[in-house]
Amino acid sequence: MLKNKRKPGMFVRAPKKPSKNAEDSPAEDHSDQEQSTPSSDDGFDEPKPTPAKKDQTPTTKPKKNKFKQKDETKNVKPPTLEEMKELRDTQNLFHSNLFKLQVKEMLQELQLKSKYTDFIDSWLESFTAFTRQLKDGLMERTHLEVPLNISQKPTGFVFSKPTREPYLIGAVSTGTLLGPKIVVDVALEMPKESLHKDDYLNLRYDQKRALYLTYVTERMKESPNYAEDQFSFNYYANNPLKPVLELTPVAKQVTKHLQVRLFITAPLSSFKPGRFVPWNNNIRPSFFGDEWDEEEPLPSTQHYNANVLFDLTLSENQDYLEKAFKGRRNFQDGLLLLKVWLRQRGLDIGFSGFSAHILAAFIVYLNSHRILHQSSSSYQVARTVWNQLANTDWTKGISLAPAAIQTEELSKMATHYDVCFLDFTGQLNLCANVPLSVYQRVREEAKLAVDLLNDMKLNSFPLIFMQKCPLYSRVDNILKITNYSCVNQMLMLHSQPRLKYDYAKYGYPQLFQVLTELLQKGLAERVHSILPLETACTAWPVESKAPVIGKHIQLGLILQPDHAYEVLNKGPAANEDPEGAEEFRRFWGEKSNLRRFQDGSITEAVVWGTAQDAPSKKRLIVRQIVLHLLEHHLQLESKDVQYIAAELDQVYHLTPWFKVNKLKTKIPLDQDTDAEALSPHVIRCYDELARQLHGLNDLPLEIVSISGTSPVFRYCEPQPVLPQARMAEKYILANHVQRVVIQLGQSGKWPNELDALRALKLAFLIEIGEKLESQCHLKWLICIEGLLVLKQGYCFLIQLAHTKELALLKKKVTERGITTYVDNPESRSLERQHYILPKVSGALHSLHQTHSAYGPTVLLAKRWLATQLLDEGLWPEMATELLVAHLFQQRCAPQAIEAPQTGFIRFLQLLAHSDFNGELFLLNFNNSWQEQQIADLEHSYRSDRQSYPPLAVATSYDMQHAGRLWTSDESPSQRVLGHVTRLARHSLEIIETSIMSKDLRFVRPAQLFRASNEGYDLVIQLKPDLVPNTLSFDLGSPFVSFSQPNYLLPPAGADRLARIVEQLRSAYSDFAAFFYNPHGGKELAIVWRPPSVFAPKPFKVVELQACTPCDNGKVQVLKETLIEDFKLLLKDFYLRFATPEELKREQHEHQKPKRYFNASKQADESSTKPKKQNVQKDTEQEAPPKKKRLIKSSALKALN
Amino acid sequence: MAKQEGYVVVPLRTKPNSKSSHSVFMREHFIHLMDPNKPKGRTLFLLNVPPYVAEDSLNTVFSRAGSIQAVEFAVRPGKEETTKWYESTGETFSYARPFFIFKVAYIVFEKASSINKALALGSIDLFNTSGECIFKTGMELWHEEYDKNYLLEAYKAKVQIRKYMAGYDKRERAASEAAKSGKSDADGWVTVGNEGRNAGFKQKASLMGRLEQKVPTENKSKELKNFYTFQIRESKMQNIMEIRKKFEEDKRKIELLKQSRRFKPF
Repeated sequence: MLKNKRKPGMFVRAPKKPSKNAEDSPAEDHSDQEQSTPSSDDGFDEPKPTPAKKDQTPTTKPKKNKFKQKDETKNVKPPTLEEMKELRDTQNLFHSNLFKLQVKEMLQELQLKSKYTDFIDSWLESFTAFTRQLKDGLMERTHLEVPLNISQKPTGFVFSKPTREPYLIGAVSTGTLLGPKIVVDVALEMPKESLHKDDYLNLRYDQKRALYLTYVTERMKESPNYAEDQFSFNYYANNPLKPVLELTPVAKQVTKHLQVRLFITAPLSSFKPGRFVPWNNNIRPSFFGDEWDEEEPLPSTQHYNANVLFDLTLSENQDYLEKAFKGRRNFQDGLLLLKVWLRQRGLDIGFSGFSAHILAAFIVYLNSHRILHQSSSSYQVARTVWNQLANTDWTKGISLAPAAIQTEELSKMATHYDVCFLDFTGQLNLCANVPLSVYQRVREEAKLAVDLLNDMKLNSFPLIFMQKCPLYSRVDNILKITNYSCVNQMLMLHSQPRLKYDYAKYGYPQLFQVLTELLQKGLAERVHSILPLETACTAWPVESKAPVIGKHIQLGLILQPDHAYEVLNKGPAANEDPEGAEEFRRFWGEKSNLRRFQDGSITEAVVWGTAQDAPSKKRLIVRQIVLHLLEHHLQLESKDVQYIAAELDQVYHLTPWFKVNKLKTKIPLDQDTDAEALSPHVIRCYDELARQLHGLNDLPLEIVSISGTSPVFRYCEPQPVLPQARMAEKYILANHVQRVVIQLGQSGKWPNELDALRALKLAFLIEIGEKLESQCHLKWLICIEGLLVLKQGYCFLIQLAHTKELALLKKKVTERGITTYVDNPESRSLERQHYILPKVSGALHSLHQTHSAYGPTVLLAKRWLATQLLDEGLWPEMATELLVAHLFQQRCAPQAIEAPQTGFIRFLQLLAHSDFNGELFLLNFNNSWQEQQIADLEHSYRSDRQSYPPLAVATSYDMQHAGRLWTSDESPSQRVLGHVTRLARHSLEIIETSIMSKDLRFVRPAQLFRASNEGYDLVIQLKPDLVPNTLSFDLGSPFVSFSQPNYLLPPAGADRLARIVEQLRSAYSDFAAFFYNPHGGKELAIVWRPPSVFAPKPFKVVELQACTPCDNGKVQVLKETLIEDFKLLLKDFYLRFATPEELKREQHEHQKPKRYFNASKQADESSTKPKKQNVQKDTEQEAPPKKKRLIKSSALKALN
Repeated sequence: MAKQEGYVVVPLRTKPNSKSSHSVFMREHFIHLMDPNKPKGRTLFLLNVPPYVAEDSLNTVFSRAGSIQAVEFAVRPGKEETTKWYESTGETFSYARPFFIFKVAYIVFEKASSINKALALGSIDLFNTSGECIFKTGMELWHEEYDKNYLLEAYKAKVQIRKYMAGYDKRERAASEAAKSGKSDADGWVTVGNEGRNAGFKQKASLMGRLEQKVPTENKSKELKNFYTFQIRESKMQNIMEIRKKFEEDKRKIELLKQSRRFKPF
C-alpha cells in the first residue's frame, strides 16, 4: 500500500524529498554518459529503482516482526524506509559508504561557524551605514598612496557618494566561504555621475577607480568604527589594475581569521554598450608615447576590455549567481568540494589562475542547460562539473547569456581569447586571462578526478581532496627569470606593442606570451605543456606606494617522455624547401647545420647530443634547448635565468675523487658517470653470467630459473657499482655483492631434513662453482650464504632456492602429532629473498622501463635517507623502492613524473603528508589484486591495525603476508617513521621556499643531503681508513670535516659496520638508538633513551639487563658501563668517543684559519679538491636559518 | 661482597683496571620443577650476562671453582628457555648466530662443593694474567668470523657434507626399515610409515582439515538454499544486516579518521 501511494507521485514530479536529507536525497546517476546528455534528467531517472527496492521493506517488515517474536535474542531492527534508501544509495553511488562519509565529514569541517556569518552580516550593516553618511566632495590631498602605479596626481578628483548600497560578492554571496582564512568580498559601486563618458579611454577608468578606493579607505580610516582595524591594499588576482582594500577587523570573535576585501565597481550603464567588445581599442598607443601608423587599424585590447567589464558586469553576474545558489545547499556544497579540489592543485592562483568564480558560473551554466539538476547532490554536482569540464571544449566559446547568443558572434568573441566562457550579460569573458595551458591542465585534472572516482579499487577521496599537490611538484622542469634588467629588456625589445596595449603594460602576461610562444615553437613535441607558476602577491600598507609587480616569471614545463630526449631536431630538406630551411636556420641560429642522414636526405638539423649519452645527460636536452633559445632569441645568458632541472641528481653521481681511468676494465667508463648509467653494465654482465649458467654441462639437475635480486638489477642502487672487484689471495674483494637466486629442475630425491637439505644445496653450489671454473674460467669462492662468483670485475652471490627448504622451515608438529606449516620470521625472510623478491624485482624493473624516472627517483630517495643517517635496520631499502613505485603507480597527477628531481619532491610529499597509521600502501602489479581481496585486506588492516607494522606495504606478489613482508615493527619503527616525516616536512619546506621565492636560488644538494649534527648525545668516530668511502658524490658528514678518502675494497660480503650496528641494536636498543650513514659514513651517532630508562628501579629478575645495584636495594643502568661495552665491542675499530659539541668546536677551529688565508691560499686549495669542497661546505653550513637547527634537534629529541 | 635479594653480585671485568663494569647476579639454581640438565645442588645460576660473553669464557673463569660439566644460556629464566636458545643455532650449514643480548647462564659443576667456591669468587675476570681479554672482540673477532665461519673451503666443506649425508642416509634407512617391519618397540609402539599394508595417512594439518571439512560440505550440497520462503526472507535480512554492518564499520573508520583530524584539507 505504501508503494501504491508513492508511485504516482514519483511519476508526476520530482520526488519532494524530505528536507532532512536534502543533500543526499536524489539517487545519483553513476554512469557518466547519461549525465553528459542533457535530455536525460538524471535526477528523475534513478528514483524509479529506489521504490522498487523499497518494496522489499514492506514485504520483510511484518515477517521480521514475526521472526522477532520467535527469536528475541537476535533482535534485528527492521529497517526504516529512509535507512534502506540511504544504505542502498551509498552502496550504489559511491562504491562505498566510506567515500560518502568522508565527503560529508569534510563538508562539515568546512562549514562556516555561525559566529562568522553573524559577524559578516553585522559588518555589512555597519558598512552600509558608513557609506550612507559619505558625502560628495573634492579630494584635495590624501596622506594615503593611491594603489595604482600609473596614477596622475590625486588632486581634482571629485568624489560622489555611492548611490547603491554595498553588496556581498563572490564566495560569501554563494555561501561557499572556505577557511582557514575567510575572505569576504564586498563591492561598492561608484555612481554613474563620478564617471565621465570619456573615461573608458587610456586607463582613466582605472585611475578613477583607484582614487575612489583611496577616498573611501581614507574616510574609513577616519571613522571610529574602523579605527582599530588593519588596512592594506592588495591587487586582486595579481592584476595591477585591480587594487582592492584588504581590511582585517580586530573584532574579537573573528580575529585574524577573517578578512574583508573591498572592490570598487561601476554600473554597466556607465559607458556606451559595446564600448568594451573584444575587438575595440581602449588604450591608444599614444598613451605610452608610441607612434602608430594612421593607416592601420588600432590593435584590439581584449584583455583590458575584459578587465573593465569585470567591474561593470559584477552586479549583474552577482545577481544571477546568487539566485542560482541561494538556499541550495547541494550546489553550495558541490562548489565547496570543487573549490577544495582546485585549491589543492594550486590552479587558482594569480593572474592566469582558473578561479573558483569560473566554476561557480559553470555550475549555473550546467544547471541552465539541464545537465545538472536542481536537486543533484553535492557529490553529483562536483562529479558532473568534472565530467563536463573534461568533455567540453571552451576554446570555441560557451555562453551563459540567457538570450541565445549567435554562434557567429560567440566564435568571433572566442577568437580574441584562448578560452572563452561568456557571462550572463554576454559581454565579459570570464576566462579572459586564463591561458590555454592552464585551461588544459584543469581539464586534465578533471578527467583524472573522474577516472579516480570510477576506479573501484581505490579510495579516491584523499587523492582528490586531501592531497596537497602544489603545481611546482607537478612539473618536471622550472624556468625562472627574476633578473630585473633582463625582464625589462625582454619587455622593451621582444614584446609586441599589441600585447603592451592589450595588457596595459603589465609585464607578467607579456612575458608569459613571449616565452611560451618561443618555447612552444622550439620544444614542440618535447613538452606536454608549459604552465605558469604564480604566487599571490602580498598586501602592502595603505600608506606606502603600490609595488610594481610582474617583473619576474616562473614557468613549469611538463615533458613529453616520447620526444623529450630526442637528440636531434630535424628541419626541412635544404633542396626541396629552401624557404623552410632558411626559416629553420634563422630560428636555431648557429646550432643548425646541414646534415646528411642515413636515408640519403640532406636537411638542416640541430644536434643536442649523441644517442649513446647517459640518461641523466639526455634528461637535460630540454634545458639545453631552452637556454639556447633564450640566448639566441631573447639575448638572455644562462647566468641570467634559472633553469631548475636535475640539481639534486648530483648526489648519485660518481665522486670526482675516484679516478675511473685507474680501473683496469674493458668496459668503457666515463669519469662523469653516475649510478644510473653504471647499472646497465652490471645487468649486461649478469645476463652473460646467466647464459653461462644455463649452458653448464653435466650438472645433475638443470638450472631452470635465474633471477637477480639486488637493487642494481632494477636500477635502484644509489652507490655507483664499478667493475673493481678482484681476487686477492684467498679472498674476493668487492664493495658490492649482487645477489642472484637460481632454481633447479624438479627432483624427488631431496632430503626431508633441513640440515641435510642445506648440506646438499651447498654441495650443489660447490659443484656449480667448479663447473664455472672449468667451463667458463670464472673464479669463485664458497661461503655460508652461497656461491661467490667473480666476473668482469663484478661479484655475484649465487643462492639456491628450494621449495622444500621453505616447507621445512615452516613445518611444525603440534601437540596432537599433526604436522602443520606455519609462517615464522625465518621462513618469511627466506620466502621473501628467494621467491617474492625475484618477482617484485621483475615488476620494478619493468616499471623502470615504462617510467624512466623511476630508477633515479629511487636513487635520490635512498641517498636522502642514507644521508639522514638511516640505514637498513631503521628504514628498509625495499620500503623506499616500493613507496616510490607506489608514487609512480598511483595516478595522483595527469602526467607521469619525468624528472627524478620532481619524483624526489613527490616522495618527500608522500613521507610528509601520508597518514601511515591509516593507510596501507598497496602495489597492485599487473592489477592482479581483485577488488574483493583489496576490500578484505583493507578491512583486516583497519580492524586489526596492531598486527601490522607501523608502515605497511603490500604488493600483489605477497598476498598471504600482505603488509608484513617488507617492513616490520622495528624497521621502520613508529619513532623512526615520525622522525622521517618531520625531516621530510622540513626538507620540503626548504625546497618550496627556494622554488617559489623570487630571490633565492634552488637549494644546493648539501642543504638537503646532509643531516644536521644536532640532537645526538654521543658520536663514535671510527678509524677512517677502516671504513671505505662511498663512491657516490659525498656531501660530507655532519660531524667531522673531510679527510683523505679511501676506496679500499673490503672482502666480499663482509659489511662490518652494518653487522656491528645490528649487534649493538640487538643488545642495547633498550638504552640507546644508533645512527650511521650506510653510504660510507665514518661515525656512529648515539641518542640515549629518555632518562627514565636510566633511573634507579626496583630489583626484578626479568628486568635486570645491564643493571648495576645502587642505593637502597634498587638497580640502575649506567651509561659509563654501556660505553665501556661499546669500546670493547668496537676494539681496534673506533678512533674515539666524543660529544657532538666537541666535534663541532673542533670543526670550527679546524676551519677558521682556512678562511683567513683563503685569498692567499686559493691556488693551493683549488689543487686539492677535498679541501676546496670543505670550505664550500662550511659556508653552507652557516647558511641554513636558525629555525632549521631548532627543528632538527627537537625532532631528534622526539625520537625518544 | 654485595648481596641483593639472595643473589651474590660480582663485577664482570674485561680488563684489570676497568672502572665501570657490569654486575653479574649469581646464586645457586633452585626451582621446584626439576630439569635433568640442571641438577639441583650442582647448578649455578647467573643473571645479567653481557651479550659478548660466550660459553667457553665462562667455562674458563669458573673452572677455577671446580670442573664444569656444562655451561648453558637462556634469554630469561624459565623451563624451556634453554632449548629455545639453542634451537636456532644448532643447525650446521646455516648462517644463524647465537642471540646477541643480555642473557642468563646456567653453570653445571661436577661437584656440589664447587658452587660455594664459585659464589666466593668475588669477580668474574675475563682477562688473563697479562691483562688481556680472553675472548676476541672488535676487528680481531670479525676477521676470525669471516675467515672461519663465513668463507668455507670447498674441499673441507665437501668432506663435511659427505660425512653428514652419509649419516643422514643411515638414519633415513633405519627409519624406513622400522616403518616397513611393523614391529613394536620396547614400549609397545609401532611405527607406521607411508608405505606397506598398514600405511596410515600423513598427519598433516591440511589433510586433516580437508577430511574434517568433507562432512559438512557434503551435507551442505544436499541442502536447498533458496527454496522455502523463510530462507529467502532470511537471506534478504542477512543482506540488510551486512550492508548495515558495513555502514557501521565505515562510520567507525571515519570516527577514527576524524580523531586524527584528517578532514581538514588545508
